[in-house]
Amino acid sequence: MSESAPTAAETRRIAEVERDRARFEEEALELSDQVYRVARRMTGSREEAEDLVQDTYARAFRAWQQYQPGTNLRAWLLRILTNLNIDRGRRAQRSPDLQPLEEGDYFLYNKLESTLSDENPDEERVIERLSQNSVVDALAEVPHDFRDVIVLVDIGEFSYADAAQILDIPVGTVMSRLHRGRRILKQRLAEKAVTV
Amino acid sequence: MMQPYLDGMLTDDEVAEARAHLEECPPCDRRYRFEEKLRHFVRVAANEPMPPDLRERLASLRATAPPAA
Repeated sequence: MSESAPTAAETRRIAEVERDRARFEEEALELSDQVYRVARRMTGSREEAEDLVQDTYARAFRAWQQYQPGTNLRAWLLRILTNLNIDRGRRAQRSPDLQPLEEGDYFLYNKLESTLSDENPDEERVIERLSQNSVVDALAEVPHDFRDVIVLVDIGEFSYADAAQILDIPVGTVMSRLHRGRRILKQRLAEKAVTV
Repeated sequence: MMQPYLDGMLTDDEVAEARAHLEECPPCDRRYRFEEKLRHFVRVAANEPMPPDLRERLASLRATAPPAA
């Protein structure tokens, strides 16, 4: 069959696809701030985060027709991002030994509270014993399986179900990693807490 | 129960139960408020804005022409 000039219907269809594609690209770009915020805390450096976000968008723009309109685009982008991040050869990390549950959970609070002279300090003043850098450093020290869940739920503000979908793990695993990860984070924070 | 409560993942009945408990248990209530503030602090402290040039680089990856300015 020889090639012939496209019919009016074909031209219209092509224009529609182009329009859908342009819309997809715009919507994805609008989310780039939020995607970067998550990427930055899932990686060790700004450069790594920038590379990862760039690769994510390159792949998303190629695979745009696999996205189901009306579903969560931010979660779709982060699914690509986490897969790329894992492909980059992250090795499984063992979770560090933790203190017993009770102590691990309250350790930070008790330690921060003990640095204040007041009998009953309010929570605001307790939190003030932490610095912004200590949070960033403490988070970086959390093993990545646990950190990814904290980053998605606590920083990306995803639901447990979305986080489960993005990481391709059961919701129960999201909850247990979150619980354990937050305890590790609090222990690291306690070690870095400002003592006077 | 504390963590799912903070994450907004409890059912209405469970939320009512959690609230009732916090009202009558000052130690839990203080810990709850501490956890809530800590979560907020972590979110704000961990937030690093995207470098502006990255935004431009991402926009240049588009297959379609950018919308007319």
